[in-house]
Amino acid sequence: MVTFYRRLPKMGYVKPGSLEEALELLEKNPNGRYRVYAGGTDVIPKLKGRVIQSPEILVDLKGVSDLDHIDFDEQKGLYIGALATVRSVETSPVIKERYPILSQAAGSIASIQVRNRGTITGNICNAVPSADSAPALLCLDARVLLYSKNGGERTVDITDFFKGPGLTVLQPNEILREINISASPENSRSVYIKLSPRSRMDLAVVGVGVLLTKTNGTFRNVRIGLGAVAPTPIRALKAEAMLEGSEVNDDLIINAARTASEESRPIDDHRASAEYRKMMVEVLVKRAIHQCL
Amino acid sequence: MEEYSVIGKRIPRVDGRVKVTGEARYAADYSMPGMLWCKMLRSPYPHARIVSIDTSRAEKLPGVKGVLTGKDFNGWTWGWMPKTRDEPPLAVDKVRYLAEAVAAVAAIDEDTAEEATELIKVEYEELPGVFDPEEAMKEGAPRVHDYVKNNLSWDFHMDFGDVDKGFGEADLVREDRFETGRVITGYLEPPAAVALWDSGGITIWAAKQSPYFVYRHLAACFNLPLNKVRIIQPFIGAGFGGTKNDSLAGDFCSVLFSKRTGRPVKFVYNMHEVLMTCRRRHNMIIHNKMGMKKDGIITAMQSKVIADGGAYTAIGPLTMYLTGSISTLPYKLPHFRHDAYRIFTNNPIGAAMRGHGVTHTRFAAEIQMEMMAEELGIDPIEVRLKNAITAPYETINKVTVHTCGLKEGLKTLSENPKWKKRSGGSPPEGPLSHGVGISGTAYLGGARQRGHQSCGAVVRLCEDGTIDYLTGATDCGQGSDTVLVQIVAEELGLGVEDVDIKRVDTAVTPCDAGSYGSRVTVLAGGAARNAARDVKRQLAEVAARNWEVDPGDIIFKDQRVYVKGEPEKAMPFRKLAQVACYAGSGAVIIGRGYSQYGIEELDFDKGIGNAGTSYSFTSQLTEVDVDLETGFVKCTDMVIAHDCGRPLNPINVEAQNQGGAIQGMGQAMYERFAMDLGKTLNANLADYKMPLSTDVPNIELIDIITDDPNGPYGAKEASEGSTVSSPPSVVSAIHDATGIWFKEQPVTPEKIVMALKKKRE
Ligand SMILES: Cc1cc2nc3c(=O)[nH]c(=O)nc-3n(C[C@H](O)[C@H](O)[C@H](O)COP(=O)(O)OP(=O)(O)OC[C@H]3O[C@@H](n4cnc5c(N)ncnc54)[C@H](O)[C@@H]3O)c2cc1C
Repeated sequence: MVTFYRRLPKMGYVKPGSLEEALELLEKNPNGRYRVYAGGTDVIPKLKGRVIQSPEILVDLKGVSDLDHIDFDEQKGLYIGALATVRSVETSPVIKERYPILSQAAGSIASIQVRNRGTITGNICNAVPSADSAPALLCLDARVLLYSKNGGERTVDITDFFKGPGLTVLQPNEILREINISASPENSRSVYIKLSPRSRMDLAVVGVGVLLTKTNGTFRNVRIGLGAVAPTPIRALKAEAMLEGSEVNDDLIINAARTASEESRPIDDHRASAEYRKMMVEVLVKRAIHQCL
Repeated sequence: MEEYSVIGKRIPRVDGRVKVTGEARYAADYSMPGMLWCKMLRSPYPHARIVSIDTSRAEKLPGVKGVLTGKDFNGWTWGWMPKTRDEPPLAVDKVRYLAEAVAAVAAIDEDTAEEATELIKVEYEELPGVFDPEEAMKEGAPRVHDYVKNNLSWDFHMDFGDVDKGFGEADLVREDRFETGRVITGYLEPPAAVALWDSGGITIWAAKQSPYFVYRHLAACFNLPLNKVRIIQPFIGAGFGGTKNDSLAGDFCSVLFSKRTGRPVKFVYNMHEVLMTCRRRHNMIIHNKMGMKKDGIITAMQSKVIADGGAYTAIGPLTMYLTGSISTLPYKLPHFRHDAYRIFTNNPIGAAMRGHGVTHTRFAAEIQMEMMAEELGIDPIEVRLKNAITAPYETINKVTVHTCGLKEGLKTLSENPKWKKRSGGSPPEGPLSHGVGISGTAYLGGARQRGHQSCGAVVRLCEDGTIDYLTGATDCGQGSDTVLVQIVAEELGLGVEDVDIKRVDTAVTPCDAGSYGSRVTVLAGGAARNAARDVKRQLAEVAARNWEVDPGDIIFKDQRVYVKGEPEKAMPFRKLAQVACYAGSGAVIIGRGYSQYGIEELDFDKGIGNAGTSYSFTSQLTEVDVDLETGFVKCTDMVIAHDCGRPLNPINVEAQNQGGAIQGMGQAMYERFAMDLGKTLNANLADYKMPLSTDVPNIELIDIITDDPNGPYGAKEASEGSTVSSPPSVVSAIHDATGIWFKEQPVTPEKIVMALKKKRE
C-alpha cells in the first residue's frame, strides 16, 4: 500500500493541567498506547505520515504549569524543564554564558518557528541519531529526571538514555521532567559543529560536539559527542581517553580525530554514505578540538 | 528610443496585494455545498500487471459515493502528440511506475475517501522493472509498453554539415559523459481542482498554468464540444512546467465523479504525493564530443543524449527536440550532429521544466568547451567571445537570431573586479577555497509547440474610461498579469490602476496556448498591444470626428486625449470614453488582438527552424567558497548580464533572473531525487534539498538592452535563461576552487570530498 501524508488519525486528546494528572493517566497506559507530546514538531508529522502507530490518546503536556523553566544554581547546576523550548534554551543568557555548546546546538536546529515550538526534551526523547542537542548534552554529562506516579523518580545519565533509533529507556508510564547539568568545569571550552548540505535549517549529516579544558598545556575533561553516525548519539570514548591528560599537540589531535572516526558506526543512506560520514567525523572532531584550544 | 510612461517602469505586481493579504484564492481554497472528495489508490509496484480489482468493500463504506477504475474511461488515453497518446487517466491493465493511480474514490470527506481506497483490493502480478535508461535500451530489457521495442519513447537525429570533417580540422577533440539531475519543478502549491458537471457541461476550478491544455483534454476524454468545457482559473502558486501544464488522474476522476453523482468533486494532491508521482525534469546522460582549433575556435560538436523518460511520453518529444535544436546557440557551430533518445523506464514521468531541454545539453557543451579551453591555455571568457555569435545570425539548422547581447554581456563580466580577482589565483587559506566561474548561454522566447500557438486578447472599454482586460494567458507567478496590464495602459495612455485584468475563464477569455517556453510577455504581450491599439483606433475616430481632425493626430497620454500640435483640443480619457459609449445609439467598444507569429515553418523531425520568436542571452559569473575538507559549497555571489531585449518591468525581470539562477544553482549543487528501484526515497522537502533563503548568494543583475524587432517594445524572454546559465557557471566556479571538473549534477559535498581524495591518491 502506498499512502501519503494525511490529516491526523482519529484519536483521543487529553491536556492534563498538572504533572500528577498526566502521570496518573500514564499509569493506566495500556501497552504504551497513550503518547505524551510537547511541541509536537516530531510527533505530529510522524502521525500524519503514518510513520508511527496512532496512539489511543495523545497527551498534551503543554497544559502542565511550571515545566518550562530554565533554572541555574551554582551548586546544583542547570535545570531545563520538559516544556522549555529549543529557542528559550538557545537564547537563555545563563546557558549562553555557562554552556555555550548547548545554546549553539539548540540554535542549529530547524528554523526559529520550529525552535519556538519544539522542546529540547522532545528532541532527545524522539531519539533520532541526528538530534542536534544530543552531542552537546553528552559532552555536558547531562542527567535526565524521569517521573512516574506516586513520586516515582529516577535519574538516568544521558549516556545511558538512548537505546537505538527512536528508542530510549523511558517507560510507558514515565515522563521526562527535567534535564540537569552540573556546573561545567572551570575554563572549559566547547563547540558544536553541524554539517549539513545547506547553510541552515537542515538536518545534520554529521554533528560533532567537543568540550575540554586546557590546563598547563594538557587536555583535561575531554568530551566528544557524535551525532548521526551511529544508531544513537554516542561519545567517542577512546578518542577522549587518548587526549585526557596528554599534552596538546597536533599529531595527537589528528590521531584522536581518526580514532573518533573509527569509533563511529554510520550507515549508508540517501543523505550520505557511511564512508563520507566517517571521513567527516575525523575532519570535524579535529576542527572542534582546535576551536576549543 | 520612444518615451514610455508605463512600460519599463518599476511597477509593483498588480496581484501583489491580494496575495500578501491572503485574499487571493487558490484551487485548494475552493469548496462548495455538497462537495465530495476524490482520493487515489496508487500502485505499490513500479511494474505489474493488474489481474483484478475488487471495489465492493470500498463501495459499501458509509459515505462513499463512487469508485472508479481504469476501465471507466473506456480506453481513452492522452498525450502531447496524436502518436504518443499512451497515458490513461487510471492504469488499466498494467502499472508502469510506483504509485501510479489505479483507482479513485469519491466520498463525503477526505478521511472516508482515504479509508475507502484502502478497502479496494487489487491483485497484481509483479513484473520485472527497468529503472536505468541505458539498461532499458538493451535488447531483452523488460518492456514498459508492450508494443515499444527497446523502450524507445522518442528519438531525433539531427545532422548538419559534416561532423567528421569538422573533427578532422580540429587540433583537440574531447569526448565526455555528462549527467543532469532528477529534479522537481518546485511549485509550492500542489495540484488541486474542484470539478462540477451539470447541464452546462464541465466547470472546473483547477490549478493549471496552461488551462487550455486541460480544456482540450477534458473535451476529448468526455466527448464534449469545447463550449461545454469551462476552466476557471484561480490564482496559481507557481508551475515551472510539466505537471501544471498537463492533466492529472485527479482532474479526470473528479470530473467523472461529478458527472455520476451530480455533486461538485474536489481533489488536492499533497506534497508527498507530488514528489512521488508528478512529472519531474528528465534525468539525461549526454555523451558529448567537441572539436576545437588551437586558437579556441570550435570546429564541430556531436551529442548523444539519453533521457530517462519514465513511464509515459508526456511532452517528452519536445524536450528532446529542444536538447538538439537549440544546441547551435549561442556559439558558432559549423558542423553539428545530434542523436537523442528518450527511453521508457519504470520511474515517474520526465517532462518539461524551466530551461526545458536546453539546460541539459548546454551544461554539457559549456563545461566541455571550458575544459578544452583549459587544455589549450585559453581564458574561459576568451574562448566564449571567440565562438559567440553576433546578430543577425542564422545557425546551421536555420535558427535565426535578430538581436544578441552575449558578447556585450561577457565583456561586461570580464571587466568585473570579481573576474579580475580570479586571475590572481591565491592559494586557499585554511580549508576554504574560493572559486569564480562563468557561463554564456541562450534560451528561446515566445516558444511554440506544434499546433495552435497564437495568443488572443480582448480589451473592453467601460463607459467611465476604465478597462477590462481579457487574456487566455495565465500568470502562474511569473508576473505576466502586471506586464500585460502595463502594455494595455501604455497604449491607451492610462495608468495600471485603470486596467483590470480578468482571470482566465475558457468560457470568456480568448484561447491561448499556455504559459510555457517564455512565451507570455512576447506573444500574449503582442496580443495585448494589438487589442489596446484596436480600442485606441476606435476612440481616435470618435475624437477626430469631434474635433474635425485626422484620427492619426490624436494622442493618448497621461489619462488625457488631445490633438497633436493643438493642445487646446483636449479632454480627459474618461470623457472621451463616455462620448464614445453614448454617441448616437451608443457604441460598444471592444478591442481585439492576437499575436502574429510571423516566422517560417519548423521542420520538427529534422530539427530545422525556429522553435521561438526570439532568443535571450545570459552571461553569468558565479563565486563560491568550497570547504576542501567537508566539500561544503557556499555560493556567495552571482553577477548576471542578461539580454531580454528590453525589460518591460525591471522588477519582474530581476525577480525572474534571480529565481531562475537560484533554481539552477539548486540543480547544480543540492537537488536530486534519490531513487531505488523506482521508489523515490526522499519524497519530502526536508530530504529533497531545494536551496533555502539562507543559501541564496548576493546577485547583481545587469540588463543588456538589444530591442528585439519581434517582441513587443523590444522584449524577449526573462525567466528561463538564467536557469540554463546557472548550472554551468556554478560548476565552473567549483572547478576553479577545486581543480576538478564535475560532470554530473548535483555536485554534492560528498562528491567533492571523494573526488579530492581520489586526486590526492
Ligand atoms: C521542519 C523541521 C525541521 C527540524 N529540524 C531539526 C534539526 O535541524 N535538528 C533536530 O535535531 N531536529 C529537528 N527537527 C525535529 C524537532 O523539531 C526536534 O526534535 C524538537 O526538538 C522536538 O521537540 P517537540 O517538543 O516538538 O517534540 P514532540 O514532537 O512533542 O515529541 C517528540 C518525542 O518526545 C516524546 N516526549 C516529548 N516530551 C516528553 C516528555 N516530557 N517525557 C517523555 N517523552 C516526551 C514524545 O512522546 C515524542 O516521542 C525538525 C522538525 C521539523 C518539523
